[in-house]
Amino acid sequence: MALKPVTSPDTEAPTIQLTIDGQPVQTKAGVSLYDVISETGKIIPAMCYHYTFDPFGSCGMCLVMVEGKKAPVRSCTAKAEGGMQVRTEGDDLFQARKKAVEKHLTIHPLDCPVCDADGHCELQDMAFQHGVTNLVNAKPKGLPEDRRSLVLDFNMNRCILCGECINICKDVQMVDALQFFKKEGTTHVVAKGDEGLVCEFCGDCLAVCPVGAITNKYSKYIYKPWQLKKTTSTCAYCADGCQMSIETSGKAVQRVTSPLSWKNKWGDRAETAKGHGGLCVRGRFGFQYIDSKERLGMPLVRTEEGFVPRSWFEVMDAVVGQMKAIKTQHGPNAIAGLITARCTNEELYLFQKLMRAAIGTSQVDSSARYGHLNFTRALQHAAGVGRMMNGYEEITKANVLLLIGTDITETNPVASLRVKEAIRVYGAQVIVATSRLTNIAKLASHPLPIAAGSERWLIQALVKAAVEEDLVDEAATTATPEAFAALKAAVAGLSWEALTARTGVSREAAVEAVRLYAEAPKAVILCAEGVTRQIEGYASVLNLVDLAWVTGKLTRPGCGVNALPEEANEQGAVDMGVASELLPGQALYADEDARTKFATAWRCSLPPPDPSATLMEILKRCREGRIKALYLVGENPLATLPASTGVQEALEKVQLLICQDPFLTETGRLAHVVLPATTFAEKDGTFTNLEGKVNRVRPALEPYEEARPDWEIFAALGTALGYPMEYEAAQDVQREIMKLLPGYYNLGEPRPVTARPEGYLRDGYVREVAARYAANTDRTETDQAVRPFALTIGQVLYHSGKLSARASGLLQLYPSKGRLQMNPEDLAQLQLGPQDVVRVTSTRGSVELRTGPNHDLARGTCFFPDHFNEPPVKDLAECVVDPTTGVPAFKFTHVAIEKL
Amino acid sequence: MTEKTEEKSLLREVWDALSFSEIRTAMRVALKHMFVKPVTFQYPREKRTIPDAHRGALGLLRYDDGTERCVGCDLCEAACPSRCIKVVSAENPERPLSRYATEFYIDITKCVFCGYCVEACPVNALAMTKMYEYSTADKRQLIFDKKRLYEIGEKHIEDAKRYLYAHNQEKNDTESLQYRYKFPHQVAGLTPPQDS
Repeated sequence: MALKPVTSPDTEAPTIQLTIDGQPVQTKAGVSLYDVISETGKIIPAMCYHYTFDPFGSCGMCLVMVEGKKAPVRSCTAKAEGGMQVRTEGDDLFQARKKAVEKHLTIHPLDCPVCDADGHCELQDMAFQHGVTNLVNAKPKGLPEDRRSLVLDFNMNRCILCGECINICKDVQMVDALQFFKKEGTTHVVAKGDEGLVCEFCGDCLAVCPVGAITNKYSKYIYKPWQLKKTTSTCAYCADGCQMSIETSGKAVQRVTSPLSWKNKWGDRAETAKGHGGLCVRGRFGFQYIDSKERLGMPLVRTEEGFVPRSWFEVMDAVVGQMKAIKTQHGPNAIAGLITARCTNEELYLFQKLMRAAIGTSQVDSSARYGHLNFTRALQHAAGVGRMMNGYEEITKANVLLLIGTDITETNPVASLRVKEAIRVYGAQVIVATSRLTNIAKLASHPLPIAAGSERWLIQALVKAAVEEDLVDEAATTATPEAFAALKAAVAGLSWEALTARTGVSREAAVEAVRLYAEAPKAVILCAEGVTRQIEGYASVLNLVDLAWVTGKLTRPGCGVNALPEEANEQGAVDMGVASELLPGQALYADEDARTKFATAWRCSLPPPDPSATLMEILKRCREGRIKALYLVGENPLATLPASTGVQEALEKVQLLICQDPFLTETGRLAHVVLPATTFAEKDGTFTNLEGKVNRVRPALEPYEEARPDWEIFAALGTALGYPMEYEAAQDVQREIMKLLPGYYNLGEPRPVTARPEGYLRDGYVREVAARYAANTDRTETDQAVRPFALTIGQVLYHSGKLSARASGLLQLYPSKGRLQMNPEDLAQLQLGPQDVVRVTSTRGSVELRTGPNHDLARGTCFFPDHFNEPPVKDLAECVVDPTTGVPAFKFTHVAIEKL
Repeated sequence: MTEKTEEKSLLREVWDALSFSEIRTAMRVALKHMFVKPVTFQYPREKRTIPDAHRGALGLLRYDDGTERCVGCDLCEAACPSRCIKVVSAENPERPLSRYATEFYIDITKCVFCGYCVEACPVNALAMTKMYEYSTADKRQLIFDKKRLYEIGEKHIEDAKRYLYAHNQEKNDTESLQYRYKFPHQVAGLTPPQDS
């Protein structure tokens, strides 16, 4: 582990030599002396130090003697210099440190028995280590607790003013929500402006607080650290794959903690490029759904009197009987299955195996169909890579980051810290193309405001700018001149007037952005729902690949095209082949050899490929009566898809609707059978995060009442259907996956990927490219006049899908407000007050609701969170299905707003 | 015993048998004890005086003003070697900033009466009493809950206090009141915070 200067880890610095306790040590100049000492394995106490930010030097514990200095020196703020003679041990130093502890303790209340940090408190440890037993002149501050903020309480009596919370908020999170504040003679840590906290509530301040000064409202006073069982698992909300410790006592989850804590404060600053170990608000405070009272405890069967609980034995018997009857009567293709990407890899694998081998249909799909498949299919098609091309470290160390159609701080808060670190530590230039003034756009060096929903045209404009300005990479384009000529011809057909009119980005702005991107040695493109979940998402990703290719960024190390998936295991769902066109390992289902390989391994014959059996097609077949039985695992299409897709009709039409979910969802209420499944906290398995890293999910609790892990239900169903699936544990499934996909787990490290676009560029590219840059149909002028507002239905930081709406902690932070968010100027123009009801009308109908101001929205745009259907704003959107991938786009529409 | 081993003469044996010598010896002891004070007690009619340091059933105590001493710190649970204590704590809704035990269980069937929990308690909320008669036909009665523990504490408050004095944990003078702190407002005379 190489030591790096503290402030900028990548700077080249001369090597120096110094002596620590008589041992010669080599290091780089400019490094904090504390870092040098901790590198040698010696631990000096330090309460205000944490490796993720610059040394602060407030606690006065890290004292060392430096030859030539009379008094002890604080090693954290001292720079290591050549020839230094340092002594870290000795009675004088011990006494000096003891004095520092006593100084803190004189103003610290001795309320350890009631403090939540009792037993997990650095000051307590230090007092014990240094034998502080007698305090003269103890003067506790006697301050009231600051309870103004949501989630966090600040008890300034206990604060030792180490500043760790302020530093991590400022340096790592770049939120800067906390500050020191002097009030009536004492210094406090307060939220900016001495008001309630307005921040992202990541809780990193809580994690690094070495005493109990910051406490968590949701678990305050209900635990002591030694009462809790700690289970390390992976967060099930987004695809960042954060590691977390679920701390439980008995059957209840008491709190969630992160690897980031004051306890592991020693580390290499350069290592934070891969992640700092923290969590976001969802992971840390959104655990209440796990032991929620709303959980399903028994299988339910719909009878005339409503749902009746039945035993597993009866229910499975009935389900298997009905499935068998449907299969014999209508053939295997009368059965279809949908699964959520919040299941583990093992479950996803087993589900598609159950559908294909035991039932004999390839009508399977997962929630990766809502967007991520647009990206993986396009990248697989163009470059032979089926996931994000860059990992966290490459994102952190990029020179230029181009963010298109992603509100990364909201959807993937921990991944956004990599972008923030790129800005702060590595000095990256960041271009954020967005219609909203998002948090990342506020930090970006080059914010690029665009019209709402115009990401796809912006990408075309960027490609056009790159080609026209000759910002092309010779080596990349000359290898396949025909492809480049075809691209040139295609972009020549686009007119700047039309592009500017649609995107609101002038040619100059596009050229500036693309010049920055093209000239950087390491440039990374990040996109997300604004591209993959929109109309023409597949083509847009391919256009992004074009941009990377012509500028020579497709195959160069440290560069690439990436799309952030939404749910925890969307990448795993694609990798496990839970899509009608894919097999495990992203082998194409249409590929005869791959099918034979899996058919042999599974000892069955696989059904013939059905290229159109995607989510929307499955629902259509349900409506047409061709599908008689639908097996939904954790999926809730009724609450997700707009009503215009006929989803309700489809679900009501099927003879047998099986819903397997931890909760009784909207879709579940229509089901004939509801099977209780477990949440991730009761499961064993793995999640694949956005980098392709496979993270372990460990059971922290016993399954809730009669609920069972999904894989157990699949195995039991398969066996009952006459296809033996005998697995004792999730590890047995894992072993099977390992055999079929060697290297998939790869010890939890993402395998490096290299793009191989040559085949695509030589063959097929010329045929396709013209269509991708064809002038898309635009809205008519009358339509613009009638429906002037662009409505985006999107994610907010405090929620993930519909699942988080079951977590009471997150609902406290962000309840279902039922308000349409609009720009304050628009509100003023329409003369809308907080109590006024508006009618929002789209081509698909209208909804009446109240409005609320959101300063981040541009004029002429409005926003509604997609986590809530109160009122059903989702039904306003048009659903457009991608012709290639079958991905439904239903998150954006144009509306008229009138005051009632 | 050695003299007994030597063989008795036949004449002696005959004389002993005729004069009922064994019965005489036995009666002598019995008659002698009729006039001696007995060493045993006629339990349960009579009861032994129990020393103050005796480790009997545990009880929870209140302050003189009736507030619960226990702050739900769970140190007793941590100290218990037989793991018979379970504390569930929460914030006190009436007094913000203070914590109390919502539930408190001691499984007295598992308790080894070591007294560590009393020693660990920072507020002297737990004490051992002289109560030892809690036998029951229903084993569930032997898991003492919070209510039962406070009842024991109330009933045996004097014994409990003497236990604490005997173990040098609480003194009956004003100086040692500092040691018996109430949490947390009473620490160094703080005023309770105003809830905003």
